[in-house]
Amino acid sequence: MLQYLVRRLALMVPVAFLVSLVVFSLIHLTPVDPAALMLGEERTPQAVAALRHELGLDRPLPEQYVTWLGHALHGDLGRSIRTDQPVVQAIFERLPATLELGFAALAWSVLLAIPLGTIAALKRGSPIDVLATGFTIAGVSVPNFFIGILLILTLSVGLRLFPPGGYTPLTESIPDNLHRLILPAITLGTVTTAINTRFTRSSMLDVLRQDYIRTARAKGASWRQVIIGHALKNALIPVVTIIGIQVGSILEGALVTETIFSWPGVGKLAIDSIFGRDYPIIQGIVLVIALAYMFSNLAVDLAYAWLNPRISYT
Amino acid sequence: MKRLAVGLFGALFLAACGTGGTTSTNTAPKSGGTLKVALNSELRTLDPLKSSQVVERQVYYNMYDSLVTIDQSLKIKPGLATSWQYTDPTTLQFTLRTGVKFHDGTDFNADAVKFNIDRYMTTPSSTRKSELASVKSVEVTSPTTVVFHLKRPDASLLAQLVDRAGMILSPAAIQKGGADFGLNPVGAGTGPFEFVEWKRDDHLTLKKNPNYWVPGRPYLDQVIFRPITDSNSALAALRTGDIDVATTNSIADKDIAGIKSDSSLVYKDVAGLSFAGFEVNSASGVFADKANRQAVAYALDRGQIIKNVFFGVHQLSRGPIPPSSWAYDSSEQIYVKADPEKAKSMATGFSFALKTPNGPVPIQEATLIKDQLAKAGITVNIQVEEFGQILTEAESHKFDAALVGWSGRIDPDGNMYGWFHTGGSFNDGQYSDPQVDSLLEQARAVSDQGQRKTFYDQAQQTLVQDVAYIFIDHGPAQDITTAKVHNLPLIADTIDRFAGVWKG
Repeated sequence: MLQYLVRRLALMVPVAFLVSLVVFSLIHLTPVDPAALMLGEERTPQAVAALRHELGLDRPLPEQYVTWLGHALHGDLGRSIRTDQPVVQAIFERLPATLELGFAALAWSVLLAIPLGTIAALKRGSPIDVLATGFTIAGVSVPNFFIGILLILTLSVGLRLFPPGGYTPLTESIPDNLHRLILPAITLGTVTTAINTRFTRSSMLDVLRQDYIRTARAKGASWRQVIIGHALKNALIPVVTIIGIQVGSILEGALVTETIFSWPGVGKLAIDSIFGRDYPIIQGIVLVIALAYMFSNLAVDLAYAWLNPRISYT
Repeated sequence: MKRLAVGLFGALFLAACGTGGTTSTNTAPKSGGTLKVALNSELRTLDPLKSSQVVERQVYYNMYDSLVTIDQSLKIKPGLATSWQYTDPTTLQFTLRTGVKFHDGTDFNADAVKFNIDRYMTTPSSTRKSELASVKSVEVTSPTTVVFHLKRPDASLLAQLVDRAGMILSPAAIQKGGADFGLNPVGAGTGPFEFVEWKRDDHLTLKKNPNYWVPGRPYLDQVIFRPITDSNSALAALRTGDIDVATTNSIADKDIAGIKSDSSLVYKDVAGLSFAGFEVNSASGVFADKANRQAVAYALDRGQIIKNVFFGVHQLSRGPIPPSSWAYDSSEQIYVKADPEKAKSMATGFSFALKTPNGPVPIQEATLIKDQLAKAGITVNIQVEEFGQILTEAESHKFDAALVGWSGRIDPDGNMYGWFHTGGSFNDGQYSDPQVDSLLEQARAVSDQGQRKTFYDQAQQTLVQDVAYIFIDHGPAQDITTAKVHNLPLIADTIDRFAGVWKG
C-alpha cells in the first residue's frame, strides 16, 4: 500500500512537467503580445519593446521555459505580468474562495444525489423516479451560466432572498459568507448533482439484481442492512469514480460561475489571465489544476479499496 | 459564456421590467455612509506611472489630485495648482495651493511636483512619457511655484495634466512603498479619500480624508470599488442595492432602457470623448483608392447602426471630435445620411475584409455594416479575431479595415494628432495629408481656443472628406446609480468623482 502510494506520487512529477511544457507551448502559440495588450492605448513601439524586455518576453522561448522551470522547482512560479504579484501568492490568496465554493457544490451534489438516486432505483417507475429522471435530464442539459442567471433573476433580483454576487471571507462573517455562497454553489453543483443522481440510480439498479443481494435477503438481513450495507456500498464504486473526475469539472465550472457571481476565486483569475495573456498566472493555475486532478484520482483509487476489500494495492 | 449570457438575460429582463420614471430630490447633503461602486474590470496598478487602463482612473481621481482639473464643460480649473500662466510660449508657471498635506502627513509643495513629473518622464517603465513629451524640464522656483520648461509650444499640455500625468503623489510614500507601491499605495494621495486596502478581484476600499483641502468634503465615510466584469451581474447588483453606482460601460447598452424605466434607479448620460467606427488602410490595398473609401462612407446608414446595435445610447459621429468638446463642429454634415446611390456612383463592385473583435456587439455591428454595404454593391468579409491580435496587425498595417475606436482625450489634440498626423502613433491606416499635418501642428502651437477651433474645423473637414477613418458613433459618459445617490457630477471623461456625493 505504502509502496503503491509512493509510486503514484513519484509518477506525478513527470506528468506535471509534461503538463507545464504543453501549456507553455500552447499559450505562446497564440498570436497576441501581452505587452501590447497591457499598454492598451499607451502602446507606442518603444514602450512595447521596453516592457517586453522588462518582462523577459524578448528572450528565446526555450530559455524562458528553462528559467521558469528552474524557479518552479524552488517553489517560485514567477510574477504576474499584469499585476506584478507573485504567482504563488495570487493563486493561494484566491484558493480558499474556490475551495469553499467547490466543496459546497460537491457537498450538496453528493448529499442530494446519493439519496435521490437510491430512492429512484428502489421505487423504479414511481413519481419520485420520474421526477429524479426529469431533474437529471434538465440538470445535464442546461448550462450552468444559464442556471446562475436564472437564480439571480428569480431569487435575487425578484424575491431579494440572496445577494446577486460578491464574497465575504469566512473570517469576517460566517452568516454573510454562507448567504453569498448558496446561489453560486447551487449553480456550480447542479450538473454534477444530475450526473451523480443518474449514476447512483443505474448502478443501484444493477446491484439490486445481483445474487448476493438475494442471498442477503434470504438469510433474513433487515431491509436497512441490505440496502445500505450491501447494495449501496457496492453501487457507489462507479459513483466515486465519477465524483473523482468531477473535481476537475468543478474547477472548470468555477471559471463560469465565479465570473457570473463576481466570486474572487482561481476560476475568475484564470479567465482574466487568459484574456490578459498573463502567461505566468495561466501556467501556475494549470499546474495547480493538474495536481488537483492527480490527487483526486489517487484519492478515488484509495477509496475503491475501502469500498471493496477485494481491491487491494501492492 | 458571458456573451451568450448577455442575450438571454436581456430578453428575460425586458420581460420582467416594469415602467416608471426617474426621481431625484433636492435636500441637504447628509454625511456618512458607504458608497459601493461597480467597475467593469479589475485594475492592474494604483500607480499612475504605470497605468494603462481607463478603469484605473475611476479610483485614482478619488484618491489623488492633479495639478489642474476640469468642470462639466471640460474647462480647465484649479486643482493642486491655484493658477498658471505662460510667461512665454515654452514656459508654463504654476502657483501651488498651500496648506495641503498628503494622506501620510507630509507636505504637498513644489518639490513634490518636480519629483512626480521627473518620475513620470524618466522611469523606464513609465506609460506617461508620451503625454509629457513636450516637457523639457521642471524647475522649482519657490516652495509654491514650479515652472515647466517646454521643448515646443504645446496647447494640449494643460489637459494632459488633468489626468494621470498631472497627479501628484507623496514622494515619501512612493519611496516607502518600493517595488510594491502600485499594489499598496498607503498615504500617497491628497484627494478626498484615502487608500485603505485592495483585495484583488474582490474589493478596493477608500476611506474619508478628514483633512481634505476642500472644506466640508467629502460627505461619505467610505467608498468600496468592486470589479464586476459581467454586465448582467452588475445590473443585478444595482437592482438589489448590492452596489450604488455602476461606472460608464459596466452595464450593456441593451439594458439601459430598462434602467431608465426603473424608478429605483437613476440614469444620466452625455456624449463622451471617444469616437468609434472603423480604421481603413489608406496606404495599401483596396482602400488606397479614395473613391472606395468614400463609397463606403456614403453607403453606411449610421442611424440604423446606432438604433439597432447601440440601442440609441451612442450618438452619431461626424468626425473625430465629439459633441462634448469645445472644438466640436456641428456643421459637418457630409456622411450623416445614407446615400447608396451616391456611393455607387463613386465606386462599386469591390470587396474588403473587416477585422472584427470577438464579441457579440462588434459582430452584430459588422453584420449590419455588411448588409448595408451590400446594397451599394460592396462585399464585406467579416474576419472575427481577438482584439489584441487586431491591434497588433493594424499597427503593422496588415489590414483593409478594422473595427477599432478611441477612448478619447479632453483636448481635441488627443483625438486628432496621433490618429491623423502623418506617422502619428495611432495612425494605423497611414493617412497622410500635408495640409492636415500643418493644421494639426498649428493647433498645437497656439493657445487661443477660438484660433485652435478654426484649425481643427479645417483639418476635420479635410479628413472627413478624405475618409481617413469611417466615423460611426460616439460612446456616452454615464451616471448609473440607485435613487439614494445624490450629487454625482456627470463629466464627459466618464470618470465618477465622489468628493461631493452623499447618500440619502
